[in-house]
Amino acid sequence: MKKTRFIKNHVINKASLMLLLLLSLSSQLFAQNKTVIGKVVANENDSALAGVSIRVKGTNTGTFTKNDGSFSISAPENGVLLISGVGYVNQEVSVKGTTSVTVRLVSDVQNLQQVVVIGYGTQKRKDVTGSISSVTAAQIEKIPVTTLDQALQGRAAGVQIVNNDASPGGNVSVLIRGIGSIAPGGNQPLYVVDGYPTTGGINNINPNDIATIDVLKDASATAIYGIRAANGVVIITTKKGLKNKMQVSLDVYDAIQTEPKKYDLLNAQQFAALSNEVEASDSTGTYHGLPIWHTPEALHTVDWQDAVYRRGLTQNYSIGIRGGGDKVQTAMSFGYYDQKGIVIGSFFKRYSLNLNLDYQATSWLKSSTSVKYSYQDANNPLGTGPGLFQLAINPPTLDSGSRLTYQIKDANGNYGFYNPLNPNVNKFNNPVYSVETNQYQNVTNYVLATSSLEATLYDGLRIKTNFGANVNNFSSFYLQPEDTRAAQQYPGSVTTPANYHQTINRTFEWLWENTISYDHTFGLHTINFVGGISAQKNTWTGMGGGGIPSSNLTRDLSNVTNLVLDPNIPGTNTGNGQNVYTLASQFARLTYQFADKYMITGTLRRDGSSKFDTGHKYGTFPSAAVAWRIKNESFLKAVSWLYDLKIRGGYGEVGNESPIGLFQYQALYVGNRPSNVNGGINNDNMGYPFNKIYQNGVGPGQPANPALKWETDKQTDIGIDAAFLNGALTFTADWFNRDSKDFLLQLTAPAQTGFLTLTRNVGSMNNKGVELSANYRGGSGKDFQYGIGVTWTTIKNKLTSITSGTDFVQNLGGLILNGFQGWDDFTRSYVGRPVGEFYGYQAIGIYQSQKQIDDLNANAPEGIYRPGTVALPGDRYFADLNGDHKVDDEDRTHIGNPQPKFFGGLNLDANYRAWDINLYFYGSYGSKILNYVESNLESFAKRGSEGADNVSVEYYQNHWTPTNPSNRYARALPNGGDNSSLNNVPSSVWIEDGSFLKLKNLSIGYTVPANLLSRFSITRLRVYVSSQNLFTITKYSGLDPEIGMQGGSATQNGVDNGTYPSSRYFTFGLNVTF
Amino acid sequence: MKRIKIIIIFSIVAVAGSIIIVACKKSFLNQTNTFGLPPDAVASTKDNVIKAVNAIYDTYQNSDLLKKCIWYRANFGTHDFFNWGADVFWNNYQIPSTFVGLNTLWNQFYIGIARANYALPVVAKAKENGVVDAALADRLAGEAYFLRGTMYYYLAACFGGVPLELQTGSNGLAPRSSRDSVFQQVVLDMQQAETLLWSKTELPAVELGRATKGAAYAYEGAARMWLKDYEGALAAFNNQELTANYHLLPNFVDVNEYDHQNNDESLFEIQFYLKPGDPQDWGGSWQPPGGELGWIDSFSWPNEITQQGYDYGNPALWNSYQQGDKRKLLTIVGPGDELRSPGIIAKWGGVKGYPPVVAGFASGNQTYTADDGTIINTVGTLTRPWYGDDKGRTGYVCAKKWRDPNLTGNYNGPDGKGHIFGDQNQILMRYAEVILSRAECKVRTNDIPGAMADLKLVRDRAWGGTAPAVMQDSADYKGNPGQPITDPLQMVLSEYRHELSGEYSTFFDLCRAGTDVAVEFINRVNGAVQGSYNPVPNPAPGPTHDGLKHGLYNTAITPNWTLLPIPQSARAANPNLTQNDGY
Repeated sequence: MKKTRFIKNHVINKASLMLLLLLSLSSQLFAQNKTVIGKVVANENDSALAGVSIRVKGTNTGTFTKNDGSFSISAPENGVLLISGVGYVNQEVSVKGTTSVTVRLVSDVQNLQQVVVIGYGTQKRKDVTGSISSVTAAQIEKIPVTTLDQALQGRAAGVQIVNNDASPGGNVSVLIRGIGSIAPGGNQPLYVVDGYPTTGGINNINPNDIATIDVLKDASATAIYGIRAANGVVIITTKKGLKNKMQVSLDVYDAIQTEPKKYDLLNAQQFAALSNEVEASDSTGTYHGLPIWHTPEALHTVDWQDAVYRRGLTQNYSIGIRGGGDKVQTAMSFGYYDQKGIVIGSFFKRYSLNLNLDYQATSWLKSSTSVKYSYQDANNPLGTGPGLFQLAINPPTLDSGSRLTYQIKDANGNYGFYNPLNPNVNKFNNPVYSVETNQYQNVTNYVLATSSLEATLYDGLRIKTNFGANVNNFSSFYLQPEDTRAAQQYPGSVTTPANYHQTINRTFEWLWENTISYDHTFGLHTINFVGGISAQKNTWTGMGGGGIPSSNLTRDLSNVTNLVLDPNIPGTNTGNGQNVYTLASQFARLTYQFADKYMITGTLRRDGSSKFDTGHKYGTFPSAAVAWRIKNESFLKAVSWLYDLKIRGGYGEVGNESPIGLFQYQALYVGNRPSNVNGGINNDNMGYPFNKIYQNGVGPGQPANPALKWETDKQTDIGIDAAFLNGALTFTADWFNRDSKDFLLQLTAPAQTGFLTLTRNVGSMNNKGVELSANYRGGSGKDFQYGIGVTWTTIKNKLTSITSGTDFVQNLGGLILNGFQGWDDFTRSYVGRPVGEFYGYQAIGIYQSQKQIDDLNANAPEGIYRPGTVALPGDRYFADLNGDHKVDDEDRTHIGNPQPKFFGGLNLDANYRAWDINLYFYGSYGSKILNYVESNLESFAKRGSEGADNVSVEYYQNHWTPTNPSNRYARALPNGGDNSSLNNVPSSVWIEDGSFLKLKNLSIGYTVPANLLSRFSITRLRVYVSSQNLFTITKYSGLDPEIGMQGGSATQNGVDNGTYPSSRYFTFGLNVTF
Repeated sequence: MKRIKIIIIFSIVAVAGSIIIVACKKSFLNQTNTFGLPPDAVASTKDNVIKAVNAIYDTYQNSDLLKKCIWYRANFGTHDFFNWGADVFWNNYQIPSTFVGLNTLWNQFYIGIARANYALPVVAKAKENGVVDAALADRLAGEAYFLRGTMYYYLAACFGGVPLELQTGSNGLAPRSSRDSVFQQVVLDMQQAETLLWSKTELPAVELGRATKGAAYAYEGAARMWLKDYEGALAAFNNQELTANYHLLPNFVDVNEYDHQNNDESLFEIQFYLKPGDPQDWGGSWQPPGGELGWIDSFSWPNEITQQGYDYGNPALWNSYQQGDKRKLLTIVGPGDELRSPGIIAKWGGVKGYPPVVAGFASGNQTYTADDGTIINTVGTLTRPWYGDDKGRTGYVCAKKWRDPNLTGNYNGPDGKGHIFGDQNQILMRYAEVILSRAECKVRTNDIPGAMADLKLVRDRAWGGTAPAVMQDSADYKGNPGQPITDPLQMVLSEYRHELSGEYSTFFDLCRAGTDVAVEFINRVNGAVQGSYNPVPNPAPGPTHDGLKHGLYNTAITPNWTLLPIPQSARAANPNLTQNDGY
C-alpha cells in the first residue's frame, strides 16, 4: 500500500497550534522548499475530495486536489498548508518534518459555498435571499429514524417536529413557522422529493437514501410553490452517483427498545378495597361490587400494562452502490426496515428500492431519472390513545370471569375475560385476546418516479422537461373471529359476532413540468432566471366494506352476510368510487446579483386548482426578497474576525388549499343508500321504511359555497447570516411575521344550518417568531474535531379573526374523549388568543364540609351553586368567575396553552482519532398538557357507560374521605357517579407543565483504522452504539411530555389521552464503505 | 450532430408545448364530483323527489333521539319511570347541558328541519316542471310541512323557545324565538299540511307511516293548546279527518302490540324495519343515525332478563291505577305480575320462556325460581323482587316497551344469536291522546259534560266495558287509599298519566296544561320533596317495602326544570342562544 495514511498521534491544543504557526512562519524565511504529497478525504466517510484548494500560507503557491483527492505541492520545510474545500471547514496543516500528509476535512453544514436546493434550481448558500435550513446525510445518519421528518427534529430553526406518538411507522407533526391553519392536517408542509411535489407518503422513503433536506421557510423562498407553500416546503434530495468513483456502502443497525414507563396502578386487593369503601359510602345505596371483591385476599391481580408492553426490536439494513463514469452516474440502494413496537401487535416493515440515474448524453444534453419503490406493512391494533389508556383503567382482576383461567392468558392458551353479566366489568375486554386472535394487514405499494431531459440551447440557456408519476396502492383487511367463549360459559350471553373488513384504494398521480432557465454573468452582474409551467393530476379510487364472514378462515367479501360498504373509506372523506383532482400552474423566478454584494429575487406563481369553483380556481402568489452581503463592502473587507455578514429581507404571499377536500364548493345531496349502511350524520342512509317496506332517501349533504377560495399567507422575513473564525462559526437569525388570511376549515356549524359542519374560509391568524441557529466547528489538527450546533425558536401564535359568527373555534379533528361531562369541548381558540388553548373550569379545591356547600347554595340564584349536580363533601369546588354566585358554562376559561414558548435542539459532535461521539438534545419549554388520562386515573366510575375503573395508586392513597380531607383528589364515586358528580370535567386540575429536555441521541462510534481494513477492500468501517431517549427531564406526571397534535389538528394539541409512549432505544450499528 | 441537437431541442419544445395545451385547457381544472347527487338531479326525477322527503322522516329514526330525550323527558320528567346507568341525573332533574341526548335532540331536529326546508323548493320545482303530478307534489310538500311542524313541536315542548329556521341557506346564528311563536309556527305548518296531505283513506297500505291530514290536525290542536287557544284546538280535534278516520282500538292491549303496528289508532308512528337476513345483534343495522333497528325496547326490560334494565318504573304509578283498569299491567309490571302481552305469551309463554330464565332456573338460581319452587313466570316474585344486579332498581318495569317477541335482550335467542335491536315502531301520537286533549279543551271551555264524555270513551276502553263512574287512584305513593278525583282538569291529567305513561307524551301534556299545573301534579302524586336528591326507600307497603333504597327518587320538580337546558354544544356554535333559567 503506497498511499500511507498519516495519522497524528497527539492532540494539539490551540496554544500549541499558534506556537506552531509562529514557528513555521519564522522558519519559513530560512527554509528550503520541499515537495509535499498528500490526500484530502472527507472526515465522515473517508471519501476522496476532488477540487480542494491547497495553498501555502503566506505565499501565492497553490494547487487543487485531483479526482482521487491527491495533491502535490512545493512548500517550505516548516510551511503551513491552507486547505479549503466547498462544504468543508477550512483547515491549516503544518508540514514540518514530513513530506506526506492526509487531511481529513470536516463538513460544514452552514458553509457558504454549500449548494442549497431552492425549487426548480439550486443556489449557493451565500447567495440565498430567503430563509432556508439544511440538513445533511451526515446528520441524519447519527440517529436511527423511521421517517425522514423525524430526522429534522431540532435541526432546523423554526421547524417544530413533534412525535405525536411513538408507534412504529412514526406519527410526526411538522410545523414550519407556527400554526397557520386550524384544520386537521392543514399545517402539513409540501414535500418535494427529487423534484416531485407531494403532500404525503413520506414514510415510504428510506432515510438512508437522503443526501440533503432543505427546508424553505419564508414566503420569498416558498412562493415558487404557490398554492401549496403556506406551510413551508421541505425539499428532499436523494443520493446520486459520483463521477469516476465507485462506492458500496452498507448501513446496518439493530435496536432494542425498552418497555415504556408505566402508570402506578392498584393491584386486585387495593382495587377491591377501594370498591368496598365506595360501596360503604354510596349515598344512593345502589353500588355493589362483584361479590368476590368483598374478599380481596381471594383475588388474583392481572397487570394489563405488563401484558401489553414488551421489548421492541428494530432492524435496519441498507445497502447501496453509487458511482459512474463521466457520462453516466448511478446510485442504487436497497433498504429493509423492520420495527417490532413496544405494544403487542404493533410493527412497521418497509422494503425500499431507490435508483438514481444521470446521463450526460452530450455536452448539451442530460437526463436524470429517479425511481423509488417501497413496500410497507404496518399495524398498531391497540392504536394510540383510548386503546392504550384502556389498559390502565381495566379492572386489575379477571376473577369470576372465565372458569378456565383468571389470567390474561394461561399456559394452555386460554384467555381470561371479564364476567359478561356483571355491569361493573362487562364493558371491559381483554385486549391481548383481540390482538392475538384477530388478523390484520395494511400493505402499501408505493412508486415515485421522475425523469427529466435537459438541453442547453445556448451558453446558460437551458430547457428542461420533467415527467413524474406517483402510484400508491393500499390494501388492508381485518378479520375478527367469532367469540363464543363467554356465551359457552354463561348460556345465552351474547356472542361477539365475527367481522371481516377489507379496504383497497389506489392513487395514481402524474406530474409534468417544463422549465426554461437562463444563468448569465457579465462583469459584476449575475442573472438567474427560471420560468415554467406545471400540471398535476391525481386520481384516487377506493372501495371498502365488511360483514360477517362465513368462517374464521374466509376472507371473501362475496361470502359475508350483511355486507356493509363503507360510507367513507377509512382515512378519506370519500366513498366507494373515484375522485380526480388537478392542478395547473405557471411560475417564474428572477435573481439578480451585483458584485457579490447585492442580491434581489422576485418570484411569481399562478396556481389553478380544481378544488375551487369557477372564478376562484386561480391564485397568484408573488414574492420578493433582497439581500446585502455587507462583508463584501470595502469597509468590512479587512475586518478579519468577521468572515461573512449578510442581511436579508423578504415578503411574499403563498397559499394553502390542503385543509379541505374536493368539491366543497358544490351543493350536494347524499344518502340514497340501502337500509343497512350506517355512518356519520351527513352520511346517514336517509331512507325510511314505510310499513316495513324500505324506501331510499336523499338529503342535503353540504350547501353550495361558490365563494370558497384558497387561504393566503402573507409573510415578512428579516434575517441575518454571519460567519466568524474563518467560517468555523456560523450564525443565522430570522424574524418573521406570518399572517394567514381566509384560512379554510370544515368548521362545526350551528345545527340550525342543517349541517353539523360547513367548509368555509373561516378567519385569520398571525404567527410572529424569531429563529436562531449557530454552528461551530473546531478542532485541533486532524485528530480532534468537534462541532456544536444550536437551534432555538420562539413563535407567538394568535387567532386574529373568525367570520363564522362566534369569536372562538372549538376543538375539532375527531379526538373523542369519552364522557358526558363536556369532554367534547376541551379547547377553545378565541380571537386574540393562541390556537388550541385548553378550556374549562378553574378548580379551587375540594368541598370539605356540607356547610361550605350549603353556604354557596344559599347565595346562588336558584339555590344551587353548581347546577347539574348535587354536591357533597369531597366533590370538586370550581370558581365562579363571572360573579353570578353559581358555576355554569359561563364560568369556563382559558386554562393553558399547548404551544411552547420556545423549543430547540443542541447538537454536540466530536471525533478523536478513530472515535466519534454525538449528543443530541431536544427541548421544548412552556407548553401545557391536558392530562386526560389522569382524569380517568382519578375516577373509579367508568366514564361514558357503566363499570368500575382502576385508578392510580396516588389517587387511591390520597383521595378525599371524611378522615382524609384532601384538597386535590375528589372522593371516589361508584358507577354513574362520575357523570353526575361533575368532578372530572375539563378543568385546571388536569393541566400540567409540558416542558421537557430530552437526550434524543447519544452515540459513540469507532472507525476501524484503514490499514487493518485494506486487505478486505474496505475503505471505511465504523461501528457504533447509540441510545435514543436515554433520559427526559420534565415535571410532567404522565408517561411522555412529547405530545403533538392529534389527527394533525392544532385544536387538539397537547392532549394526553394515552398516546403510544416512547421509550429508550439501544442501538448497535455499523457503516461500511467498500 | 448539430442536426440531432436541433431535432432533440425541437422535440423538447414540442413536448413542452403540448403540456401547455393540456394544462391550460379550461376543462383540466373542471372535475366532476362522482359522489352524491347535485341538487338539480334531485328535482329532475320523481323518484328523487320522493327520496328527498323520505329523508326528513329518517331523522326521527334514531334511538338516541327517541329514547334518550323525548321518552326520557316524557316519563322521567313525571317520575313515572327512572333511569339506571349513566344518565341517573334525570332522576333528580340535575340534567347537565352537556348530556349527549340533548345534543342529539337539538342537532337531529334541526337537521330534519333543514331537510324539510331543502325539500320544499325541490318539490315545488318538480311540480312546476311536471316531474311529479300535482297530487303527489302536494302530498310531499304537506309531509315536509308536517314533519317540520312536529320537530318544532318537540323542540319547543322540551326547550321552550328555539330559533325558527324556515329557509335554506341559514347561517345558523338566529337567536331563540319565543315559545309561543314556535308553537304558532307549528300551527302554520300544520295548516299548510292539512291542505296538502292526503287523507288516511287515500294512503295506500304500502305508504302507511306517512303523514296524513288527520295527523296534522292532531298536532295543530296540540300546538294550539300550548298557545291556550282551546277553541281553535277543539276545532282541529273535531275535524272529520281525525274523527272519521281514526278510532280507538277495542282492546287496549292491542294498541302497543308488535302485531298491531300502524294500527287504526296510530296517528304518527316512527317506523323501524328488520331487513330480511339482517341480524338483530351488534352486527346488524342498528347504529344511529340511519339505523333501521332500535335498542329502544329491550333497554327497558329488567336487568334479570336482558342485563339491561336502563329504565324502571315507579311503584307510585303501579299503586295509582284504579281497580279494574286493564292498562295497569300493560303499562307497568312489578313483583308477582305476569306479562300480559299476547305476542310475548305466544312466543315465550311469558317471562318463563326467556333464555336466562330457562338456564337460570335449570342451574338452581333463585332469581329465576318462583316462590313455589317452579320456574318463575313473573317479573320477580313477591319475596324476591327483581331489583337488578345492584339492587338499584325499584322492581317495577315498563310493560309498554315489552312487546316485541323477537327480542331477547343481551342474551342469545334459541337461534344462538343476540336479539338486542328491534324493529318495533314507536308511536308518537295516537287517537286516545287526541281524545284526552280534546277533553282538556272542553274543560277549558266549560263544556264539562263533553269532557266527561271524552274521558269516558278512553276509560271504558281501558276497563274493556264500562269504567267506574268515580275516578280515583287505588293508592297514593305511600299506599294510602286514593280519594275520588272530581276536579275536571285533574281528571284529565290523571288520564294522561294512566293512558300515556311509558309512551312519548305524558310530561309534555302535563306541562301544556301549565307549568304550575304540571309542577303541582307531579310533586303531589309522587310525594316529592324539595332538595331530596338521593334515592329513598319505597314508603308504600308491598313487596318492595323493605326499608332499603332501590332507586326510587322523590326529588321535587321546580318550574325551571320543566324546561331542558339548551345544549352546551349548541350554545358554543351559536353564541346568540341564551340558556334557560336554572341551568
